[in-house]
Amino acid sequence: MDILYSIYEVLWFVLIVAAGIAAIEGYFYYHFKLHDRKWFMAVSAVFFPLAAVLLCRYVGLVQGAGSGELWAWFFITQVIINLFFKHIIKGRFSLPYMLLAPAFVGLALLLVYPFVFQIYLSFHDLKLTTIMAWKNTGHLPFVGIQQYINVFTTSPLSEVSFWALLLRTVWWTFINVFFHVTGGFALALLLNNNIRFKGIYRTLLVIPWAMPQVVAVLAMRGEFHSQYGFVNIMLGKLAVAFPALAAMGFGPVQWLSDHPLATCTLINIWLGIPFMMVVILGGLQSISSSYYDAADIDGASYFQKLRYITVPLIRPVLMPAVTLGTVWTFNNINVIYLVTGQSGGTERADILVSALYKAAFTYNRYSYSAAFAIVIFAILFFISVFYLKTFDAAKDER
Amino acid sequence: MADVKFLKVTKKFNENVILNGVSVEIKDHEFVVIVGPSGCGKTTLLRMLAGLEEITAGDIHIDNILVNNIHPSKRQIAMVFQDYALYPHMTVEENMSFALRLMKMDKREISARVHEAAAILQLTKLLKRMPKQLSGGQRQRVAIGRAIVRKPKVFLFDEPLSNLDAKLREEMRVEIAKLYQRLNATIIYVTHDQVEAMTLAGRIVVMNHGIIQQTGTPIEVYRKPDNLFVAGFIGSPTMNFLHGKLSAEGEKLFLKNDSLTLYIPPFLLADGARNAGREVVLGIRPDDVLVGSGTRENCSEKIEGVLEVSELLGHRENLYIKAGENRVLATVEAFFNQSPGSKVSVRFNYRNMHVFDKKTQQRINN
Repeated sequence: MDILYSIYEVLWFVLIVAAGIAAIEGYFYYHFKLHDRKWFMAVSAVFFPLAAVLLCRYVGLVQGAGSGELWAWFFITQVIINLFFKHIIKGRFSLPYMLLAPAFVGLALLLVYPFVFQIYLSFHDLKLTTIMAWKNTGHLPFVGIQQYINVFTTSPLSEVSFWALLLRTVWWTFINVFFHVTGGFALALLLNNNIRFKGIYRTLLVIPWAMPQVVAVLAMRGEFHSQYGFVNIMLGKLAVAFPALAAMGFGPVQWLSDHPLATCTLINIWLGIPFMMVVILGGLQSISSSYYDAADIDGASYFQKLRYITVPLIRPVLMPAVTLGTVWTFNNINVIYLVTGQSGGTERADILVSALYKAAFTYNRYSYSAAFAIVIFAILFFISVFYLKTFDAAKDER
Repeated sequence: MADVKFLKVTKKFNENVILNGVSVEIKDHEFVVIVGPSGCGKTTLLRMLAGLEEITAGDIHIDNILVNNIHPSKRQIAMVFQDYALYPHMTVEENMSFALRLMKMDKREISARVHEAAAILQLTKLLKRMPKQLSGGQRQRVAIGRAIVRKPKVFLFDEPLSNLDAKLREEMRVEIAKLYQRLNATIIYVTHDQVEAMTLAGRIVVMNHGIIQQTGTPIEVYRKPDNLFVAGFIGSPTMNFLHGKLSAEGEKLFLKNDSLTLYIPPFLLADGARNAGREVVLGIRPDDVLVGSGTRENCSEKIEGVLEVSELLGHRENLYIKAGENRVLATVEAFFNQSPGSKVSVRFNYRNMHVFDKKTQQRINN
């Protein structure tokens, strides 16, 4: 009967979520429809903070002490919301706001709150030695920007410095994205021809992307095993078949222990090509064939057509994909973490985000990690803005 | 400049026959319009000449050189596409000079040619613009300019005006006519619009179902259509068709159907008695349907009918008349002052009447 109990729990959860959404919608509906009543300010400023405090106490978020302060906060918030609805919104756009409300509240809980908490953490000192005091007294020592200074001056791991990690990450991102784009482009060009069984090829090529990454990466890690992995077996056979190659030092390689970053890179290239291929193929198929006809008559060779027509015309789809790919690769903890083993594994393949993970959950330096994460966020933010700017500039051209 | 020869050109897509043995000779400096309904193979024929489609069978010669296996860029042709195919990421100038730059031509020569073409087409001020920033007519002119700068032997136009609105189309039609006088080039122009064909062509090639139906000057095609298809396709409004059977009464020949008996004079169809019993279609252009009861020379007896609808076009008026089971369209001077439902009588002008065999669809009078 376990299964019945599970279903019961799921239904119960759905019910709570539905009730929550209903409460949010009711709250907004009240503000939209009754904002011009005389009693609006007074009633809502009393009722909603009271209800919120009671709810918090019922759920157990606060005990007896501290609810007075909570009440004050809720009261101020509610007054601001009231003024906003009374004087700015004035009951307009009720439907769009009400439809957006659940998503906004969800985003606020899942993104905004953690982000704000992270910023808070980054200016304090939460680590293994202070966490119990924080739990018992609620007090965290304020350290200003010391954590940010630490990010740049101390190592997040035991060996590698922040700057070495940054350089490695940039290199890793560049190599990966470069091969994703070129590989995806080459495959897309092949698939864009009129060939038989195109659908089958496309499906096969998309598999690495469609598989859960954990499964794909662990399977590939097996293939790089020094003794039983497909890669080394093939290298060994080749070395036997071509002694000249073997004489030049060609042969099986201790992938995981000697070249962890190269292994990760090879695996991640294999994982990332399908996405670029699909995006570029879409771009290629949207290019009108009459451009190629015109170029044929103009006397362009295959590579000239590629250079002067295909590449400029797929740029609008390519640039956002490259931006996304850059961010994903920069942030790709899965491959590194799963290939090099978890905590205690080698640090020679670590990039910023995997070092961040280790700093937080292996070395338990929470505030330091919060600052570290914000630095990484800032780097990615500037990369994205730069990409989008160049993309906008490219778009203005046409 | 050069002449173009199609010899029994055939195109098949798998089992679908698109072109079935097309043979035309196009002379130097000639403006030839290939016209036909959509799907008749006219664009395919043009693309085969350009080298963009493979030739299933037959030969194409440009300037007496067999070009079947020559690359498009080596055929010395230039093509203007229906959707213009201007490269969207290049300026007008770059678009026009693209082919020349690929030929690695001298930069000054390129610039001179581009500016010359731009001057002809009034594009000089637009050279730095992107195609996106141009109107439809301007894009059309850039597409033509791109063809001009290459100084090709043959210009190919693939429905160049079909993406423009009616007024612009008229303007560009005149522009193209002027351009032809100026360039004095061999032009092959594909369209489905018979007005463009009539106004622009030195010679019209009418195509249908992958076969050439008739080749001739506009006036030949209009006055003496070879078959029912050409008769119905060329001319606006469309020709009237009266279906019936020829029967002889003594020396006289009549067309008869359920509600009409029409005398066929000997000068229209000689050897009348031999044709008796034949199923035919009579074709009369709306201009040759005379409304009113007064007798005129070389006209038929009057036929009584009822006015169904009248359309005022300005200086002309279209009258849709029903005479028994036959529907007849007459075009008369405005204003025809009768309301729908009133009785009108019409006469047909025998001089411009066409007789087609119903079975073979071919013209049987002279």
